[in-house]
Amino acid sequence: MRAYVPLLMLIGFVAFNAVMMVALSHLLQANRPTKVKAQPYESGMPNLGTAHERFDVKFYLVGVIFIVFDIEVVFMMPWAIAFRQLDLFGLGMLGALIEMGVFVLILAVGYVYVYKRGALEWT
Amino acid sequence: MPGAEGADTGVVQSSPNWLTTRLDALVNWSRTNSLWPMPFGTACCAIEMMSAFASRFDLARFGMERMAFSPRQSDVLICAGRLPYKLAPVIRRVWDQMPQPKWCISMGACASTGGIFDTYTMVQGIDNIVPVDVYVPGCPPRPEGLIYGLMLLQKKIRGESVFDAGLRVEHLVDERGLFLEPKVVDEISEPFGNSVAQTRSA
Amino acid sequence: MTPANPSVATLQARFGAAVRRAEVSCGDTIVYVDPARVHEVLAFLKDDAGERYDYLADLTAVEYRDRERPLEVVWQLWSIVRKVPLRVKAELPKNRPLEIATVTDLWQGANWMEREVWDMFGVRFAGHPDLRRILMWENYAEGHPLRKDFPLRGRFSRSEQVRQALTSDLEAHYSFEELSIKGAAPYLPANVRRDVEEHVHHGRGRA
Repeated sequence: MRAYVPLLMLIGFVAFNAVMMVALSHLLQANRPTKVKAQPYESGMPNLGTAHERFDVKFYLVGVIFIVFDIEVVFMMPWAIAFRQLDLFGLGMLGALIEMGVFVLILAVGYVYVYKRGALEWT
Repeated sequence: MPGAEGADTGVVQSSPNWLTTRLDALVNWSRTNSLWPMPFGTACCAIEMMSAFASRFDLARFGMERMAFSPRQSDVLICAGRLPYKLAPVIRRVWDQMPQPKWCISMGACASTGGIFDTYTMVQGIDNIVPVDVYVPGCPPRPEGLIYGLMLLQKKIRGESVFDAGLRVEHLVDERGLFLEPKVVDEISEPFGNSVAQTRSA
Repeated sequence: MTPANPSVATLQARFGAAVRRAEVSCGDTIVYVDPARVHEVLAFLKDDAGERYDYLADLTAVEYRDRERPLEVVWQLWSIVRKVPLRVKAELPKNRPLEIATVTDLWQGANWMEREVWDMFGVRFAGHPDLRRILMWENYAEGHPLRKDFPLRGRFSRSEQVRQALTSDLEAHYSFEELSIKGAAPYLPANVRRDVEEHVHHGRGRA
């Protein structure tokens, strides 16, 4: 427990610092809202349209697909580090390889589906 | 100790005492040493402003580290260069969209008085459009001139007080569409010096 | 004295009296043409196989200090294939309305140049597709600035000019074309399209 005391002190200090900066700025601010000030900035020109634009769904799709396969890579990393010590199905390293192969195969099925559905098309 | 938000200044009104002066010193020190500029460079003075930001004259050592081209994140509007009437509503809007506390440096002769362009197109000094704190004369002023103007602004800020209710007031354009009285605008836009004799139309 | 551009002789042979005179100044050949026939002359200069002045470098106007001299409209032509320049001028007397034919059907670049001449001098170009001010704002009410009878500081007082500047509606001066979104009109969100159309058709402009 004693080893963690400096860490806790750091966390406490950081939290206090952040809160103090924000609170002090808030207390010492000069709050003067005006109508023009509240409008979005368009290089000094009157606003044309709203800021709520519609986005292409491709951004969302790429983000979600990335997350899934990134987690797959995350699982592969400790497996790769411990590979030489692994011993599965009595086959040693080959067993570990088969295990990971099954995992990748399951996800590859998902990848083929995504590819065929055209979710990776950018244009 | 300043506590709840006051109506005008955000800090409760207080008679000047040691605490308020220490708080003012702290606030002014932090404001003067981190004035982020909104460079509104229109013409030749912008070149000198750029060289003032560059390495030889280096405004970053005065705290003007980040040239914020968004008014939302800036403290000082530096108007460097002549301002045509077509651009006047733009600078007014940019000024209005800067949050308090904000200051304005008018750099160069054209931004201060219209300079050599006493014509039908140019605003005769941006103080017809926005309230100016420091005027830096020159055509264009050397970077050292701009630095001197900045130091004057820092000196002005050090004399301010957080508890002064009249200080951070928004001077808006009124419903007639003017920022100053028409008489005042005409008076400060009058030709002077050599251009008095140049109203002829051939 | 530099010999005149041989196009002068060709023009005189073909158009006769429409070519009033020609002179050489600082190495440049200048041809003065009857303003009523200027479109014919310029079309010939552009299209004829021997002339082929395919580039309109500049289109401007001149008003001289001496009030009796007429206002001149100037076309600076270049033949890129032959590497030869020619300056064509038409004199417009000031006691009549300042009107002349447009050359936007010959050179597309003349569009904005003629708008500038209209804005600064008040010369109307008959047949121009979109003759409106280009440098000053669209409903600028003080006149045509580069005329000699226009005072240097404009006709309105400074306070009035500032007031008009601060109350102007910036979006009213732009059309779909100038906003470069004409081709995108069907793809605009409904509220943006409504805003732009409102400004185009009912813009406040300046008082």
